[in-house]
Amino acid sequence: MNEYIENCYKIDDLLATYGYVLDKKEFDGWVGLFAEEAAYHVFSMDNVERGLPLAYMMDDNKERILDKVKVIEDVWAGTVEPYRTRHTIQRNMVMDLGSGLYEVHSNFVIAYTEASGVAGIIAMGHYEDMVQITGSSAVFVSKTAFIDNTPPRYLVYPL
Amino acid sequence: MTDFEKIRGSIANRFGSSADIPKEIFSDEAVYQHELEQFFYGAYWHPLAHRAELAELGSFKTTWLAEVPILITRTKDDDIKAFVNSCSHRGALLEQRACGVAEEFECPYHRWLFDNKGSFCGAPGQREFRSDFKREDYGLASLRVAEHAGLIFVTRDPLAPTLKTFLGDAAPSLSDCMLDDGKLELIGYQKVIYQANWKAYIDNDPYHAPLLHTAFKLLDWQGSKGELINADPYGHMCINYQVKHYKDNGFLNDPSSVEFHGTDDRARVVALRPVTGITKHLDTINVRFARPLGVNQTEVHYTFFGHQSDTSEYREHRIRQSSNLLGPSGYISIEDAAIYNRVQATTRDGGLAHFVKGVGKPREEWTQNDEASNTVWWEHYRDVMGFSSLEGE
Repeated sequence: MNEYIENCYKIDDLLATYGYVLDKKEFDGWVGLFAEEAAYHVFSMDNVERGLPLAYMMDDNKERILDKVKVIEDVWAGTVEPYRTRHTIQRNMVMDLGSGLYEVHSNFVIAYTEASGVAGIIAMGHYEDMVQITGSSAVFVSKTAFIDNTPPRYLVYPL
Repeated sequence: MTDFEKIRGSIANRFGSSADIPKEIFSDEAVYQHELEQFFYGAYWHPLAHRAELAELGSFKTTWLAEVPILITRTKDDDIKAFVNSCSHRGALLEQRACGVAEEFECPYHRWLFDNKGSFCGAPGQREFRSDFKREDYGLASLRVAEHAGLIFVTRDPLAPTLKTFLGDAAPSLSDCMLDDGKLELIGYQKVIYQANWKAYIDNDPYHAPLLHTAFKLLDWQGSKGELINADPYGHMCINYQVKHYKDNGFLNDPSSVEFHGTDDRARVVALRPVTGITKHLDTINVRFARPLGVNQTEVHYTFFGHQSDTSEYREHRIRQSSNLLGPSGYISIEDAAIYNRVQATTRDGGLAHFVKGVGKPREEWTQNDEASNTVWWEHYRDVMGFSSLEGE
């Protein structure tokens, strides 16, 4: 198997694990999918298309990514209404940038279910990621979610 | 007898005071329809845009006043105009883009053309138009427009009082939020739909702030003592305080996004009735354009601004802070959002919602963390809706 296809497998595995840990609310596992220096952002396509820089979430370093978990677990717990999520992620594009660095685009649909049983789609859109592959490990150097819809509720968890 | 008239008396009987709110007003469809007529299409001013969103001459923004589509334009003479975003012919939505620059608007249905002052410019086949057709009768339906520090207000009611009268004592706090001159720069939007009635959404009281928001305590971030302003008769509520600098207590790994970098330490929370929240927190400037989407839902566009004079470094900080602090995924406001939904969840249980803290004290003794101030709005609401006179009166 050539290296490109092998790395695509590793990327697919990373994307799958990303949705898997978030849906299980294993936030330490989520942090573990990012490189030592990494960034996580959520933007709306509306803002992006208008050239407006505001994000829904702007965790532009690893400390901020760790803080997101701290806020979810230590600040909001007990107040916010928890919900289940189910990520469906489909890889669309992989570009080899050399030295094990890959740009990866994928679509996502994230379903949510409230405690009441009411369910719907909380966010749909696409990811644009930078993935670093070293040996058998693949991690996000950056992960950026672009959402198409107006969320039908507030967003507690990372997308 | 309309559906509203049928229910008005029974609500009035339960609405004994402005501190005891019958919960069905948050979920009753007939009440909601009556509110649309009274508050949204009646003699109230609604901030629907800021000049910063219409940055150049010829800009437009489309939005909604409750369930009515609105087109706001900035003409080449620098006038701000507001219209119902509906072709005067068959009523098709005239402009479907959220924003842009356009001197003219063409309805795609029959190619009727309007300029950005709302005048009818022309249409195909005019020679065959009915005999009573007069072009001046077919301009876009316009709304009154007034501005305060760049914030653009509209009203559908030709008899509404002046904007100055409407804002009353809330005007100075609003100016503070807009940094006095209103020369703001748009940073962007965070949009969300809350599963709550519009009144539940805007009725956050000052009592809750240090209690609900765990972040304040964990971050050693208690607000300083502030000044409370209640603007009669509408019950606009303003809290004016001073930014308290965040002291790093080690809770956050990276506290930089919650630090205060500015020099203007005015902090403000303004609730303009019926449904607009405006805040200046730390380095963020936020207008929460909101509209009901029916009786059980409220759509909010958290719109963030900087100032035209910001250095690029300060602008970056504002963007970073605005993206993390408030809004539907922000450190603090997410807890408010949870409460809107949780309040809405019980609105059909036949009970009452009560205001207790500070209620009964003389008004001059109300403090920043009392909830008595909410009752000024509720007193007004009760009167306007006819809930203060009992059945048969």
